[in-house]
Amino acid sequence: MTISIAVNTVERSFDVQPDEVLLDVLRREGYLEVKGSCHAGDCGACTVLLDGRPVASCLTLVAKVDGHAVTTVRGIGDQAHPHVLQEAFVKNGATQCGYCAPGAITSAKALLDENPDPTEEEIRLAMDSNYCRCTGYEQQVEAVLDAAAQLRKEHKK
Amino acid sequence: MGRITEYYHATSLEDAFAKAKQLGPVAAYVGGGVELVLRRNPEITVLIDLSRCGLDYITAAREGIEIGSQTTLTTISRSADIRQYAGGSLSWWAGHIAHNNLRDMITVGGVIGRNQPWNDVVPHLVALGAQVRLFDGAERITPLAGYIEAKQPGIIIKGVLLPAGNAGSNGFLWRFTRTLQDISTLHFSALVSSDGKLMTAANLVFAGRPGHTALYPGLSEELVGKSLSHETFARVAEMAPDLVEVGTDLRATGEFRRELVRAAIVNLEEHMTGVAQ
Repeated sequence: MTISIAVNTVERSFDVQPDEVLLDVLRREGYLEVKGSCHAGDCGACTVLLDGRPVASCLTLVAKVDGHAVTTVRGIGDQAHPHVLQEAFVKNGATQCGYCAPGAITSAKALLDENPDPTEEEIRLAMDSNYCRCTGYEQQVEAVLDAAAQLRKEHKK
Repeated sequence: MGRITEYYHATSLEDAFAKAKQLGPVAAYVGGGVELVLRRNPEITVLIDLSRCGLDYITAAREGIEIGSQTTLTTISRSADIRQYAGGSLSWWAGHIAHNNLRDMITVGGVIGRNQPWNDVVPHLVALGAQVRLFDGAERITPLAGYIEAKQPGIIIKGVLLPAGNAGSNGFLWRFTRTLQDISTLHFSALVSSDGKLMTAANLVFAGRPGHTALYPGLSEELVGKSLSHETFARVAEMAPDLVEVGTDLRATGEFRRELVRAAIVNLEEHMTGVAQ
């Protein structure tokens, strides 16, 4: 079957099998920034935004996404034009091996889009789907607080 | 899933039901879809998607609050009406169950339809006195407690109704787990109303075996008309382990679960009185 998805604001058509999941299709189509790990919705590595909300792409049937918008971490920012969140992750040591970072940054982006001034508790709750075996999470929370402060400052200008 | 050959976007409940009826056991509805991916059923070859049937809604009316079956846990957790309902217990739990990107995928209809042992929402909905609005060519309403006991395949869950009149009540859910993400060894949920001194109504719900949620009316009656005192709860904590049906499995023995039943009532006392014994 053929489906249409706006990936990072670009309209794309994909030929897919009815039982394929979004993660597999995105990676097959070259969106390698979306990471697969547990394939059971546990680890959060594969998190993407579906119409602005974070979902586990490994558990999302791609046919269900037909006609919707998907944002990967590259749609948030890339090496040439990094998002404040991505810069904050680097600055605060919130990424080490980097495997969880795309999912973690994506979850954080969804949070800050809705709540520009989150508490530490709200950040932990919004990122409770994203496992990180390197950083111990503290730096990630600090990075999101840092990014939120910068974004608020930019917004005031 | 074995080999899925067709993914059908139903445009209405009538459309979805007719398609399912035509195809029989090879068809499955896609509500949330999470478990469908995880637990592949080799018999299923056609998926019928309900997401375009207008079932994502929360409406408050005189008779209570209705939650469309395609409403996600995140949406439930953010609803102002549900936040005010029964002390906000359903809202809080809907915002804390599983984890963030699953709460945006899991739907209330999905958890009821599957009623798997790890679904924490169902025991609480039963305690809240929820009913389900079903569609099998025509609409009908039935208590959730009865529906999960004898659910019939092929019927679509249209919505969940939370009865009015629970505004001043306290909802309570306790899931005993070995780790935060583990399946509960015991679920306990309650809805208790009081006038500040006496309890005026109570629903006590246990799942003494994972996935086997049951309302215990006899035990619930033991609280009604009684004072909010340690003596009241201590008596129920003494009775409950003998009355609640518990099971033995690899997670825990029945004996261990009976002790948890006692501990659950102690937790309820703390919740209701604000005093830890």
